[in-house]
Amino acid sequence: MDFSALLIPFVEITLAGAIINASVHFVPVGGAPAAMATSTGIGTGTTQLAAGAGFTGLMAAATIAAQSGVDIFNPLHWAIILLSGAVGSMIMLGLTMLMGQLIYVFGVGVVPAADKCERDPITGDYQKPYITPGTTGHGVPTVCFISGLIGAALGGIGGALAYVALIQLGFSPEIAGTIAVGFFFMNAVLASYNIGGTIEGFHDPKFKKIPNGIIASFVASLLTGAIVVLMSLGI
Amino acid sequence: MDSTLLVLGALALSSAAVTVAGFAEDLESDVGSQSNPNSQVQLAPQMGNIHRYYNKAISGEPVSYGLYVAVAGTVAWTLMNMGVNILLALVLGAAIGAFVHGVYTVSAYFGRIVGQSKSFGQPVYLDVVITHLGPIVGHGFIAIFCMLLAAYLATTMLGNPFPLPLIALIFGITVGAIGSSTGDVHYGAEREYQKYPFGGGVPVANQGDIDIKAEVGIRNGMDSSYFCSKLGGPLTGLTFGLIVFLDGWRGLVGTLLGNVIQGDVIVKSIIAIVVGVIIVAITACLNRLVEVYARKKYGPYTNR
Repeated sequence: MDFSALLIPFVEITLAGAIINASVHFVPVGGAPAAMATSTGIGTGTTQLAAGAGFTGLMAAATIAAQSGVDIFNPLHWAIILLSGAVGSMIMLGLTMLMGQLIYVFGVGVVPAADKCERDPITGDYQKPYITPGTTGHGVPTVCFISGLIGAALGGIGGALAYVALIQLGFSPEIAGTIAVGFFFMNAVLASYNIGGTIEGFHDPKFKKIPNGIIASFVASLLTGAIVVLMSLGI
Repeated sequence: MDSTLLVLGALALSSAAVTVAGFAEDLESDVGSQSNPNSQVQLAPQMGNIHRYYNKAISGEPVSYGLYVAVAGTVAWTLMNMGVNILLALVLGAAIGAFVHGVYTVSAYFGRIVGQSKSFGQPVYLDVVITHLGPIVGHGFIAIFCMLLAAYLATTMLGNPFPLPLIALIFGITVGAIGSSTGDVHYGAEREYQKYPFGGGVPVANQGDIDIKAEVGIRNGMDSSYFCSKLGGPLTGLTFGLIVFLDGWRGLVGTLLGNVIQGDVIVKSIIAIVVGVIIVAITACLNRLVEVYARKKYGPYTNR
């Protein structure tokens, strides 16, 4: 195996980690408070929702990569696998946010409203008058939805990139999938620590902390990349 | 028979199975009070609300369901490789997964309630454990079995290269993420706080002040599953079912349209990606329509 055959997957894995970390910062998660419609976003944890979406994208990417006629070393095929992962993740998170929204509006009776901005940067709607007093917003307003879709796309690309890199290193799809799942969790947890609970999306002031998360994941993925490259060499 | 038709049939069966799985998973988490709304059940005794809810936040729903379904998938995979009948292997795997679920369910209840007994006077109700265990494990079994069936179809019919236990793990994590994002909001934001007027989130000052009285008598977890089966459960199932169906369906559309224009696998994949982007755009538009509807219907707060 020549040097470039090891270097390219190594670089891909390192970048994949940074992309996965960045993706989690876009996903609007309100944690436990959002489950009581006390804060804006989806009512679950950052890591878990990002992982749910990322793994759906990972499966979509793996299914494309496993088809006969697909060459993972061909740049066009490589891009198609990544895009397929992105779309798979976006479908998962888009539908989850939509159905969550239906429950917020029809089951709980709240108006989707973001707390971290006066007006929705995309629709221009005023947000503050619609927030229940004593809460920090609720539901999934358009800005959070779009931010979530961006996060899902990045998560799907990151997961698919890690998977492709592992396949390029010569791992079987079974082993590559298992390592990719663990790798995704590692970077999602690092992002979750950086976020520290809840985030509404790219308009949230916490989003400015994203460089710290990306650097942390870059370093962690660099180390992981070195380990999997050594594993691929049988060391 | 045409292979595309077979794949479509497998996809439909798989989607139906995960729809049932999502429904059962959400109702199980309502009976057992898992996931994020459990924070309110945990907080209630400190606020003076002695309750008869089941209390079992074993871990986040995605992680716990990932464990159960992965255990079930591993057992089923092992049995299949030993030559056991496939359906029997899936049932036995799901049964072992449900048993693991039951063990955690009992230990979580005792651990959490005993921790509150001395400081806040919350009794350990043995009858709550006995009566709730069946519905929790039963719903869990249905959810695990349906996801195992869908995972098996994914490995054998839908071209997924991952082994059964890994797909089972991914399905478990995904159903937990969906359940806690959709159905559990209905339980946490509405069912636990029905004594407050409908419409509006739960202000921080009211947290922990959950309803402890049912329509008749004292409320327990099974009353919650009855209520949540009207909206939270079905929407959770529908979400998971639509995700599996639409993600697979876009691939089928790509294949069919690609065959019409005699394109190769890349052309088919590009069509599938475009169809996927259209689906995502439709969800974004629907979300906006629901948002606009809510703003017009409910209006802003006027008495701040």
